[in-house]
Amino acid sequence: MISTLGNLFLWLVLIFSISQLFYSRKNNKLKFISFSVKGLLISSLLSFFLLMYLYIVSDFSVLNVFNNSHTTKPLIYKISAVWGNHEGSMLLWIVVLALFNYFMFKLYNNKNYKFISKSLEVQAFITIGFVIFTIFTSNPFEKIFPIPDNGLGFNPILQDPALAIHPPLLYIGYVGFSAAFSFGVATLTLKINKEVAWYNYMKPFVVVAWSFLTIGIALGSIWAYYELGWGGWWFWDPVENASFMPWLIGTALLHSLITVEKKKSLQSWVLFLSLLAFLLSVLGTFLVRSGILTSVHTFALDPSRGIYILAFIGILGSYSLILFASKAKDYFDVNYFSFLSKEGAILFNNIIMLVVCGSVLLGTIYPLIVEAITGNKISVGEPYYNTIIVPIMMPAIIIMGIGPLMSWGSKDKVKILKKIAPSVLITIISTVIIFSFYKSYNFIGIVGIILSFWIISNNVLMFFNKKTKISNGMILAHLGIGILILGITGSSVWQEEKIIKMKIGNETNIQKYTVNFKEINEIKGENYIALQGNFVVYNEQKQVITNLKPENRYYPVKNNFTTEASIHTNLLRDLYIVLGEGNMNDGWTVRIYNNPLVIWIWIGSLVVFIGGLISTNNNLNKIKFL
Amino acid sequence: MFKKKILILPVLFFILILIIFFYLLIIDRNPSEIPSALLNKKAPSFQTNRLLSDKNFNSDSELIGKVNLVNFFATWCKPCRDEHPYIQKLSNIKNIRLIGINYKDNKKKTKEWLNKFGNPYSKIAVDKNGRIAIDWGVYGIPETFIIDKNGIIKYRHVGPINKKIYKKIVLIIDNIK
Repeated sequence: MISTLGNLFLWLVLIFSISQLFYSRKNNKLKFISFSVKGLLISSLLSFFLLMYLYIVSDFSVLNVFNNSHTTKPLIYKISAVWGNHEGSMLLWIVVLALFNYFMFKLYNNKNYKFISKSLEVQAFITIGFVIFTIFTSNPFEKIFPIPDNGLGFNPILQDPALAIHPPLLYIGYVGFSAAFSFGVATLTLKINKEVAWYNYMKPFVVVAWSFLTIGIALGSIWAYYELGWGGWWFWDPVENASFMPWLIGTALLHSLITVEKKKSLQSWVLFLSLLAFLLSVLGTFLVRSGILTSVHTFALDPSRGIYILAFIGILGSYSLILFASKAKDYFDVNYFSFLSKEGAILFNNIIMLVVCGSVLLGTIYPLIVEAITGNKISVGEPYYNTIIVPIMMPAIIIMGIGPLMSWGSKDKVKILKKIAPSVLITIISTVIIFSFYKSYNFIGIVGIILSFWIISNNVLMFFNKKTKISNGMILAHLGIGILILGITGSSVWQEEKIIKMKIGNETNIQKYTVNFKEINEIKGENYIALQGNFVVYNEQKQVITNLKPENRYYPVKNNFTTEASIHTNLLRDLYIVLGEGNMNDGWTVRIYNNPLVIWIWIGSLVVFIGGLISTNNNLNKIKFL
Repeated sequence: MFKKKILILPVLFFILILIIFFYLLIIDRNPSEIPSALLNKKAPSFQTNRLLSDKNFNSDSELIGKVNLVNFFATWCKPCRDEHPYIQKLSNIKNIRLIGINYKDNKKKTKEWLNKFGNPYSKIAVDKNGRIAIDWGVYGIPETFIIDKNGIIKYRHVGPINKKIYKKIVLIIDNIK
């Protein structure tokens, strides 16, 4: 009954999006456009919440609920299971599309109506594509008969608070770029740059998308760090790459939009990036959902789904890129600028982001290309990414510290040197102090620390210098990146790993800590049973620092084992213990990590996110005056 | 002129990537192909109840002497229903035994299901808590194994049987009979 209603609303979403396409194309009846946009939003929300209701009451007559839920599961994971599977996450995707669609519509007025209705038309087309895909290949409301007694449960590895909110945040990021895409296509089609400040409309959407993508990716990392028990937080998994690529393009887009806003240069470049960001987001979905690659995120192996998404990307991509090829010359500009100006710095960073994105794309699809040509299966791993990407990123980070201090169009070298002198000084002094204390010299490590101090000191100084007119949002976002680099450098360069077999009562050392394996117990959780180790950690003075209790969980419903790492965090390092295989007689395999500065990765991402939100607010205020 | 030509490049690059993806989607490949660690080894032995009789099922005696096709299935699994016609076709092959292993299922419902869709299996063993599936390294049901006369696993297929896989299975059985 409820599922039929949910399905009905899903069909209504399709009908409303078709009517939106139709009326925004005709572009003369605001009433009908408004009706379609609101209908689309309301019916998608209803459909989504009905599915959530089905999960909460555990209605196993619905195949999707049966496949992904179980009565014994805690409520929060019943809810997050709604988007923890392919079908439900497509519905969430549609809801977010409808939300952005609505916000785009809210900008409609009698000066920009041509531009906004064209954008709504493109947005409606995108929505139709995803709704048809959902209804016909991945309908979450499909029924099952006979009705099973209970569900199959939810993959225990996904039962984690960080992961419960990771997909919605990530989708706001991915789907937010659809707005930039629609604005981009509308601008190219209408040749409207003289009448409408299209970049001002595009910018808040890009900032929102980018900020949410940042925090979404960070949450995914947090999950991997706490749940997978491999001691690391980034693995260059194809799906991580699929989210990292739009992030890089989004970063480039965000910065070059500022140039367009201030100097009207780089317009065709920005339009290109606005198309690319969304195309890469959809390509990411394709890689994840088609089963063409395997990773922890691959939900379903269904070739018909893959072909559908591929065809849809084909239409979106070919249409928009051909449109770009034929119209972009209208947006070429003749305002050349010096390399040593703000726009020069931005362009430089743009190019680096694109090169990095290209390298990540190559690393991700190279195994597929090789397989298509030779039939051999190969894999591209961490060494490739680290050797390629780390060196390319370094100059970008140096420029990131200088760029905001430069002036538009000018090339006054002396002035710049004067401006950066204090932070250069602070960087040198603090680096020397740090390394005279820690005395652990490593080339990449030293460079990383210098770069992060460089960015942090720079932005802190800018924040207190009231003379410069730089927005707090930007300063915070840049500061966050500096903090992020500190965490990334610390945890990847100075990580220490120890894998040993331990019996109860055994002791081992890591860094200046002594770890004692005190006992092992069987415990019972809400929907699992677990073996829980108890490790006591002492410092050099034999004082107890903490008790770490890593678990090996068994989830009977899914017949699945997971490891729960136990972590003691302070501002300088994480102590990370994972309990492996073993038994009472031979002892257990225990992995112990000392991961320096990890917490700064999470803090940094959060600061970037907050900076992004502040900046979104500023940009929205600008639109109000258009 | 030069600039205009450059503008075409993204489209061409994009289409090239699409063609590669399309090719990979339509060719016969399985990215999740997990070669069975048990291939060419003896099938793990187990003892359990039978679904349609009160006798026990002992794999040591049942899975030997003839070529066996072992199929893990359940009534709650939709792909199992999809592959059912092929399982029925396979049951027509002479001189083999078709063993069903009913995975984490309800006895009564399974009987109803078999009455409704037909019972192609010579014998059905019950895997109530999924223990057998773990021993056999079952990745997801349905899953089908071919075991030769000596009880050695010769082939494993993860997922529902379709026309292509059906032909492959018939071919393999012909070869080892």
